Amino acid sequence: MGYGEKGGRPPFKKFKAYSKFQDDPRKGIVEDDDVFGGDDAYDDDEGKTKDFSKLELKQDHTNRPLWACGNGRIFLETFSPLYKQAYDFLIAIAEPVCRPESMHEYNLTPHSLYAAVSVGLETETVISVLNKLSKTKLPKEMIKFIHDSTANYGKVKLVLKKNRYFIESPFPEVLKTLLRDDTISRARIISENVNGDGFTISKAAGEIEGTHDELLNEAEVAAVAEEKEAHAFEIDPSQVENVKQRCLPNALNYPMLEEYDFRNDTVNPDLDMELKPQAQPRPYQEKSLSKMFGNGRARSGIIVLPCGAGKSLVGVSAACRIKKSCLCLATNAVSVDQWAFQFKLWSTIREEHICRFTSDSKERFRGNAGVVVTTYNMVAFGGKRSEESEKIIEEIRNREWGLLLMDEVHVVPAHMFRKVISITKSHCKLGLTATLVREDERITDLNFLIGPKLYEANWLDLVKGGFIANVQCAEVWCPMTKEFFAEYLKKENSKKRQALYVMNPNKFRACEFLINYHERARGDKIIVFADNLFALTEYAMKLRKPMIYGATSHVERTKILQAFKTSKDVNTIFLSKVGDNSIDIPEANVIIQISSHAGSRRQEAQRLGRILRAKGKLQDRMAGGKEEYNAFFYSLVSTDTQEMYYSTKRQQFLIDQGYSFKVITSLPPSDEGPRLSYYHLEDQLALLGKVLSAGDDAVGLEQLEEDADEIALHNARRSHGSMSAMSGAKGMVYMEYSTGRKGQGQIKSKPKDPAKRHFLFKRRYGAT
Amino acid sequence: MPEVRIIAKNFMDMVASMPAMKLDKLYENGFICEAILRSLPPLAKKYVIQMLQIDVPVAAKLLEEWVLPDGVSKHRVAVDRLVQLRVFLEAVDSGTLPRESMPSNITVRLPTLENLEAYALEQWECFLLQLISPIHADKPLNLSTSLMKVFQRRLLSQRDKEAPKLTESGFQFLLMDTNAQLWYIIREYISNSEERGVDAAELISFMLELSFHVIGEAYSINTLTDFQRSIINDLADLGLVKLQQGRKGSWFIPTKLATNLSMSLADSSSRKQGFVVVETNFRVYAYSTSKLHCEILRLFSRVEYQLPNLIVGAITKESLYNAFENGITADQIVTFLQQNAHPRVAERIPCVPENVTDQIRLWEADLNRVEMTDAYYYDEFPSRDVFEGACDCAREWNGLLWEDSKKMHMVVKTEVHPYVRDYLRRQK
Repeated sequence: MGYGEKGGRPPFKKFKAYSKFQDDPRKGIVEDDDVFGGDDAYDDDEGKTKDFSKLELKQDHTNRPLWACGNGRIFLETFSPLYKQAYDFLIAIAEPVCRPESMHEYNLTPHSLYAAVSVGLETETVISVLNKLSKTKLPKEMIKFIHDSTANYGKVKLVLKKNRYFIESPFPEVLKTLLRDDTISRARIISENVNGDGFTISKAAGEIEGTHDELLNEAEVAAVAEEKEAHAFEIDPSQVENVKQRCLPNALNYPMLEEYDFRNDTVNPDLDMELKPQAQPRPYQEKSLSKMFGNGRARSGIIVLPCGAGKSLVGVSAACRIKKSCLCLATNAVSVDQWAFQFKLWSTIREEHICRFTSDSKERFRGNAGVVVTTYNMVAFGGKRSEESEKIIEEIRNREWGLLLMDEVHVVPAHMFRKVISITKSHCKLGLTATLVREDERITDLNFLIGPKLYEANWLDLVKGGFIANVQCAEVWCPMTKEFFAEYLKKENSKKRQALYVMNPNKFRACEFLINYHERARGDKIIVFADNLFALTEYAMKLRKPMIYGATSHVERTKILQAFKTSKDVNTIFLSKVGDNSIDIPEANVIIQISSHAGSRRQEAQRLGRILRAKGKLQDRMAGGKEEYNAFFYSLVSTDTQEMYYSTKRQQFLIDQGYSFKVITSLPPSDEGPRLSYYHLEDQLALLGKVLSAGDDAVGLEQLEEDADEIALHNARRSHGSMSAMSGAKGMVYMEYSTGRKGQGQIKSKPKDPAKRHFLFKRRYGAT
Repeated sequence: MPEVRIIAKNFMDMVASMPAMKLDKLYENGFICEAILRSLPPLAKKYVIQMLQIDVPVAAKLLEEWVLPDGVSKHRVAVDRLVQLRVFLEAVDSGTLPRESMPSNITVRLPTLENLEAYALEQWECFLLQLISPIHADKPLNLSTSLMKVFQRRLLSQRDKEAPKLTESGFQFLLMDTNAQLWYIIREYISNSEERGVDAAELISFMLELSFHVIGEAYSINTLTDFQRSIINDLADLGLVKLQQGRKGSWFIPTKLATNLSMSLADSSSRKQGFVVVETNFRVYAYSTSKLHCEILRLFSRVEYQLPNLIVGAITKESLYNAFENGITADQIVTFLQQNAHPRVAERIPCVPENVTDQIRLWEADLNRVEMTDAYYYDEFPSRDVFEGACDCAREWNGLLWEDSKKMHMVVKTEVHPYVRDYLRRQK
């Protein structure tokens, strides 16, 4: 993926969240790098039916919206009048498993409860609201689990007040427990204004905003908003990291919530920026912000919104509320430009207060506060930098940031986060993502490195509200031609399998047909995705369309994207997986996927995200509006190949969000005949010959080099790179492609034994 | 019922004493009809010719009014004969039932119609569960094991000591709606009656009689014949009647199932309310407490959760392949899901998501891509000439399925085999 992970291997060992209670983690696991579909965890307890039929139904169960099971699974009826309240509550305390039209499923997990606690819900509130909503009496196991999981979570906060760090808790006995630890007691700074325990006491403000308050009122539960006394002691700023470490679950197990009392921060200079009046956050954007700023302070955490739902407005709004210096991290240079643009679009920030820091543009803001937009790589880079870069990095290091805004947190490896977070000092961290991978090691890291998940929107609700496009998803079945399939089945072609099923002439024809149809009949803008570089090049050249892949320069990329946005003649572009994330192409409304990264659910969702940005009038898009579908996502698969298997796996995430894939079996229509390429057998055979004679390396997956500072990653990843990757051999192959020249000699090819060649080709070669 | 039991005296008497089904079969023959008409007493002949023009049942009272007082005995003989020969069929309405419902002065608490319907369905499901998987049934029925075996005959198959498995028709049976299932069982019950020493005619007439009773009314068991009393328990087990013990004797209360017996199968008013929600992610939520429903869902889906009033399952490729292997078709599954759609989704068009129904059909089609052809395999040809000649020969008959010219192997259709064999013989 974006950071040069090599092909098939997940970078981390799989990790199961502590599973004392969760005996069914399979639905929760969304590991994204399951290249060869190795998530057999899914089948852990195949066939076993979990019997909770003995739970006691309440008399008025039809009025209540959910069932809760002893193993943490929760089922929610979406047609209940209490759905909205129940959804807001569940999303705060549980992980969504699937959210189609009529029935949602959720899992209670330690992480989800940690998130619940950190947005201010207390153990007893969680239990009593859940009980009110449940059709049955709550299972004892669930109550116990909630108690166990939340016993320590959220009890302790790390607060940065007037640039002094305090450990704060409403429970003095917890503070005493912490102080029994050597590291912590050594880090303590004894102040003068103290009570008997030596703790300062203050009144913490209750929750001001927040949607669960509404629910609580409706559910007639005692308000959580009552004022609480907060006990606190101060610690040495230089010891913060150590103290945090001691509090993690593997040590004292009192993970600290981080909150930033930015209104009372008099040390860091204010940044003059407001949201422009035309920037009107939508209801779900408001909701996510209210979770972040619920008690008048800024909480660190992650907000999950589908692509196209306006994550950047949430990010910019957060920065505008905090009004302090903000460091914004993106995944690549194109998206750095886009973030800088978003800041200027939505906020009143002055030109000189915002700057970009990439390998191509090294700007610095003027004044004592500002916004810096850069990439993760630029910050985490460990090698030698240019003098200019070194100066900027030094400034970033030395500054106390009000907000660390992190985009696409799901793609960033944990070690990169650690590095970034250790380099930059920030009061509050906000992570943004569309597809949160759950329950693997990454989510754990994200939870403790950034913070808990603060909010996650429901895709279908956003579609119904007209906030994101209503996408018609289709899986197009393309039968392999006889000749391609025969080669596909041969053992000696095992490394070419992907190239063979991607280059299947029937797939090419289906793709060509779809492009023609959408360009001409509907006037749509189309993105074609291919992970396989060989295929990308072949398709793009044959159809004479522009393409962008790893080796395309920043300037070239910008030029092509600009043409795609503005020119009437450029309606289709071909993208390799560089286009998966964060390249913002709001014009596109059709995606055709001809090859993909094996079984990666996240990639599928990210790609769909490229066309989710709603277009046209809001009222047309809303449920019951004029347009039924306004965006199209086609996944072309060659039948009877591995692709079919991967395809089903890839769709799982989207299907769990309520999307459905229609299977199309008859593309292109038979009357298209010679109007499309590869109609004649000899053309097909020529193509087959090309695939077979290309080197194994050439027809494999693209290995991405994201940014100029990539060298750092090469170093970091040496442990699991292949020899050819380190020798640069793979990079060479791309260089050859980028020259655009064709011909045998350019592409590395394995010497072939002519005797082994298929007779069709023997004949062909014999004739020439 | 005719007053005199038939004793076979002559040919026509013998015909008249034949079982109803066989007799009805005879009437398919025109000569028989004419012969019977000829053999009838004059008054009976007149009645037949007169009533040929009338489509609706004629009240017995009306018929009696046609005759003068001194003709009454002739009238009775004529009508009896016509009834014996099943030229006249008695349509019994409640007024002429052989028994009256319970007088209102007897204080027995009768079940409400809803309760009665619930009872009937519960009883029926209990029976079905017992039928298909006795282990899962929680309350044992009184039906004799031998009778159960009769019902299971075509639905289950058992090999040696293995647990019985559902047959293809067994699976299909489970996906049928209740009325169709009931008919199947009743047919088995009747057609097997002779083996059990039970008179089929009597059984049929009692069943039909039952269907004209009023739902929910209690009738005294004492009004039943010995024979009827001997089978009423079976009917109770099937949910056709509910038995109730009063202080002054026992009663039976006919349920909807009993009265449905005389209705047409296609009558949809008897259909139960749907309970299944299918989602676009292939998950199935069944609002049901019934173990039977759970077993039915298991036929084609993986049941994951059982909640007090909800069954949660998933339709997977594996679960469907399993179903297809057992002889269930995609159409049957789709129809079942559609017919039983929960009211929440029943209004939606389509009520089962299109991608799910498409996929079910596609998976089925996937299994049918291989076509089997009976064939003969030839190898070890003495020479290439003979091999090529044989190939040509098979080709001429349009029966060459495959050839490997390098190794000199070929496969031909079975029907072409004799020609190729002859050709090869000639080459020797």
